[in-house]
Amino acid sequence: MKTQNSEKQLSRRDFLKLSGVGAASLAALQGLGSGFKPISAAAARAALQDNAKYVYTSCVMCPAECGIKVKVENGVASAIYGNVYGPMNTNGVCGKGASGLQMVYNANRIKYPMIRVGERGESKFKRVSWDEALNYIADKLIALKKKHGAECAIMDAGDVTDRDPYWYLFRAFGSPHVTEHGAICDTPRRHGPKIMFGGKRVEPDVMRPVLVRQPDGSLKNDYSYRTKLIIYAGWNPFTATRINYESRGTVEAKLAGAKIIVIDPALSNTATKADQWIPIRPGTDPDLFAAILRYILENNDDNDPFRRYIDWSFQEYSQGWDEFLAAFRSRWYKKDPLNGLKYFSLEWAAERTGIAADKIAELAHTYGITKPAALVWGMNGIGHHYNGYVASIIGTVLNVITGNMEVPGGAIDTELVKSDKGGKAKGEDFVKREVTRKVNGQDVTGKIEELHMDYYGDWPAAWDDVVGDYPRRFLEGVTLRYGPFRGYKYPIKAFFMRTGNPVITGSNTAHWIEALTAKDGDEYRVELVVYIDTPMLETGLYADVILPEASYLERMALSDIYPSHQVIYLRDFVIDKLHESKTQYDIMIALAQKLHEKGDPDIKPEDFWEKFPTEEDFWNEALKVAPGRAHAGVPLPYPKYPVNYKLIGTPDSLESGKATIDDEKKVVQGEYVTAQWLREHNGVAIWPMSWHRFNNGGVLKTASKKVEFVWDYEVEKDGEKKRQGQYSKYNKLIEAAGETPFAIAKLGWKKYESTFYWFETVWNPYTNPDYAKYKDEYPFQVVCGRVHHAMSGTQLVDWLGRIPTEDLWAPLNDERVVDEIVIGENGPTPSGRKVQLAKGSWCIGVIQMSASDGRKLGLQTGDLVELETPLGHKTRGKVNLVETIRPGVLRVAMGAGGRFSPGLGLTYDFRDVTPNANDLTDPEGHSPIMGMPVYADIIAKVKKL
Amino acid sequence: MPQNLLNKFSSDVFAGLVAPALKPGGLEAVHPAFSIQGDELTPIPDIPEGINGEKHYIQRMMEDLQRALQKPIEQRKWGMLIDLRKCTGCNGCNIACVTENKLPPGISYRPVMTETHGTFPNVSRRFTPRPCMQCEEPPCVDVCPVNATWKRADGIVAIDYDKCIGCRYCITACPYAARSFDAGYFYGDFNGGERQPYELLPSPEYGEERVREEGSSPIGNARKCNFCIHRIERGELPACTVSCFGHATYFGDLNDPQSLVSELLSQPNVMRLKEELGTNPKVYYLV
Repeated sequence: MKTQNSEKQLSRRDFLKLSGVGAASLAALQGLGSGFKPISAAAARAALQDNAKYVYTSCVMCPAECGIKVKVENGVASAIYGNVYGPMNTNGVCGKGASGLQMVYNANRIKYPMIRVGERGESKFKRVSWDEALNYIADKLIALKKKHGAECAIMDAGDVTDRDPYWYLFRAFGSPHVTEHGAICDTPRRHGPKIMFGGKRVEPDVMRPVLVRQPDGSLKNDYSYRTKLIIYAGWNPFTATRINYESRGTVEAKLAGAKIIVIDPALSNTATKADQWIPIRPGTDPDLFAAILRYILENNDDNDPFRRYIDWSFQEYSQGWDEFLAAFRSRWYKKDPLNGLKYFSLEWAAERTGIAADKIAELAHTYGITKPAALVWGMNGIGHHYNGYVASIIGTVLNVITGNMEVPGGAIDTELVKSDKGGKAKGEDFVKREVTRKVNGQDVTGKIEELHMDYYGDWPAAWDDVVGDYPRRFLEGVTLRYGPFRGYKYPIKAFFMRTGNPVITGSNTAHWIEALTAKDGDEYRVELVVYIDTPMLETGLYADVILPEASYLERMALSDIYPSHQVIYLRDFVIDKLHESKTQYDIMIALAQKLHEKGDPDIKPEDFWEKFPTEEDFWNEALKVAPGRAHAGVPLPYPKYPVNYKLIGTPDSLESGKATIDDEKKVVQGEYVTAQWLREHNGVAIWPMSWHRFNNGGVLKTASKKVEFVWDYEVEKDGEKKRQGQYSKYNKLIEAAGETPFAIAKLGWKKYESTFYWFETVWNPYTNPDYAKYKDEYPFQVVCGRVHHAMSGTQLVDWLGRIPTEDLWAPLNDERVVDEIVIGENGPTPSGRKVQLAKGSWCIGVIQMSASDGRKLGLQTGDLVELETPLGHKTRGKVNLVETIRPGVLRVAMGAGGRFSPGLGLTYDFRDVTPNANDLTDPEGHSPIMGMPVYADIIAKVKKL
Repeated sequence: MPQNLLNKFSSDVFAGLVAPALKPGGLEAVHPAFSIQGDELTPIPDIPEGINGEKHYIQRMMEDLQRALQKPIEQRKWGMLIDLRKCTGCNGCNIACVTENKLPPGISYRPVMTETHGTFPNVSRRFTPRPCMQCEEPPCVDVCPVNATWKRADGIVAIDYDKCIGCRYCITACPYAARSFDAGYFYGDFNGGERQPYELLPSPEYGEERVREEGSSPIGNARKCNFCIHRIERGELPACTVSCFGHATYFGDLNDPQSLVSELLSQPNVMRLKEELGTNPKVYYLV
């Protein structure tokens, strides 16, 4: 794409913009010609008729990955609609999804491979050919591997599903370090379901329609909402639409009679539809949940229909309740040193959460007595706090003991029931290979995966990796503490970042920059940084090589979605690849070929281009495991097949009986799902829904095939004692090494606790005595929220820039004439144009503040303030004084401010007056079990600038 | 440039000011509703039947719509119902409208208004999508000096871009702010200077397939929602309706008592905006 190069300071068009095309300027419109060649209307109409088509694919504007239908006219994607055939978003598409065109066709797309010519962060690049870029990368990788081992390279693949080609390549190369954004998303939130079910994501049963087997044998769509109560704590599906059916599902369930309660310090869009909004003090969700659990345990009366909270049938499919209960009860006799009240009592919780004791009692009673119900906790409230694990565990317990898991209208762990995908295409076999390393002078042989920097290093229980702690390892290197390679040290020398932007989102921004720019002599400590993406975000400014990845409309993959039962969408080619971009598959093959040519011993033709001659072959491999879940529940999806056998194959092959039953492996094998099959079925495969899928083990993924309230226990089998439970694996490593991971040592633990545990969050003067001293000087708690952009990478989209969201993203821009910079051939380049932005015409990230706090500080909406934490971290932004947030709390949108990459377009232009939440994040603030950055454990003082 | 635009500006506007605006009586003859329907109605999606025999609401509304198309145009009365209880404020309708009609910066036919009321903690926020109300008594029509805007026989208020002179009387007259002026911006103006590929494609509005370009309509014209006539006439629902993430938007023939939209209108909690003005809107809200 050309940039308009003008020696004039102002073009005529710019002049018009400056003057404003007002009432008097109509005549001036005659001057708007600019060498642009229009297609004639007749030609366009003919082209439309001949060349208009619709393609079913899936969205990537946010991780919800809705099924979409894209209109393509004359080779140009021109409109995006929902896919009516998919049950998740059905026909709907949100503002983000409909805006995808402006991502795909953005002038700020990375168009060519580039190599850095200045220092990291200086934004100086030169265009190179793919060949040059790949040579540079392959030479460096091979040299680094020879010197430090392949484990010195990390592939962080950002998006979940499209990651597989990169993971496959890097695992083949010999690195165990492949990751994606989950590690900096919400790991504490997923913890309870993971250790108790083997799952991750508990959501309400509100996805409708669901396809259900009928008594007459037919499959029909069930549109009925049975939910009577949904409690969302720190979860805002209307704006952060990760689970896309929850927005319409919530309002539909409400109209069908459900009560909706939202617990959130700010009035989220979800809260606007709630019967009750409870503005809790940030970081006290575990306190509230614990008080609810205590209330339910103390007040349950099996003989009183108005107090029968507990459905004891949970004991049939669980184990370890007595141990959990004993541990939980033992704490409620103790007194909290901060307020002298007994733990988990209503008064104690009221003191901490800021919610009146009688309201907590009412909430507990309502939750206990109303069935079916779902307690759902979210990314913000629970995922972003140091002790989110505690809330996640208690929340899971509450859903189980009240009898709400897996009942119609109750709660579903969607991780356990979604379709499987990936299979061999994830490359897991490669990291089972053995390698030898010299440890303390001795040759030690082990599996590649046992070199993992987290699982055998500082974070043994962090099964989603610890991206937030990468800067420390970039700076200090890795020391393995567990497993066969205990004592082995290695540096991190290569960092591949694909569709992610950790400089802005992966914990403290300055710390990431420090790690990416640290040098040993003349050489950067992390010697190779490669950035692969469609837009140019901040992390790209620190890369040595930049590769343009094809946008989601130019590539194939499979959706990563969380429906109530097995559903999978195809991501398909919609338009031709733009500029010089390549797909993930292209990049995998091209880099593999280079590594092979240059003699890398681990990259073999039979694993790459011979095995997957086309992109479709690769994704067909990934589909071979679909749907891959245990055949379970009521009504049984396929009455003709045995219960608890794994189902493989297309819905129609399973339906028609074109399947073989393998009794030994317990598999029902139909015809593999393929990309072509999906294409022929409107882009979506749907297998039947059922409920009660925990019965007889069903979809549970725990060792006991039961819900586990204990996480490290012994069983005797065939006369042998065996350790089981989700923490047992890590505790065995810890015991063998005799060393406690530093993060849990801080809690006073020796190893992972085997049942209920409790610890306080950090930087919270209201719950943790260690921080009480900061209460007066730092009177504000700072939490983050999301705007419609969802993530840090969509803020170059003009359409979304014009839509105010939740008082976080507001048209508070001042009037500016900016020198436009676009991502050109050689990176960020002035276009020579001036763009005028009228006051109040563009939404910018703001600091949401209670109007009453603003009055006390003498502030007005639009005033620029500085926030400062006790650690001296600062950010600045304009305050938006509103009634929609709890006093004492400030909310800042994640990634919506301080954006210093010119690739962000107009968002970049206001970087000096917009706040970056991660300027404030404690760089050492990692939650103790999975190392998630503590994005919402922040306190600050406010100064007017 | 547009000599024709200047001509319009200099002659029609002033002529219109001098002579009282013509009433849009027999204008149907002048502006026949275009038709692209023929035999080629868009197929209704095949979605499994509901357990109680119910249909997916999109299927039901498409059937309603295609049934209405079998009637003569003057027997159809298109209307919309927006269930504000279900609007989640996602703005999908807003952007889908912009992309469908290829609208320029600053114009959406269906913005979503957000209003917040109350004092902490008793606060409420309401989202109100605001398409054109397609008034039965449209204040915008009477003020047009050149008869460029009129109410079609099926009740949709349309604009003839070739006649519109951009005087903007209608914009002032509309009590719902549902009309906008196309001032000639392109999204590329704010993003690199080159027009974006989708901006070079013709807009399907009114079945005219106009490429928006400097010096010709609709730049310099008034613009507004027309319920996606071009979609309706081929048996499809308006872009906002089909895109609604909360399933809050309903569309159909108000003259057909069997239509879903008519059925929903029988509820007691139906309201319209600025009822007191007597504009008689055909957009209803459930509250």
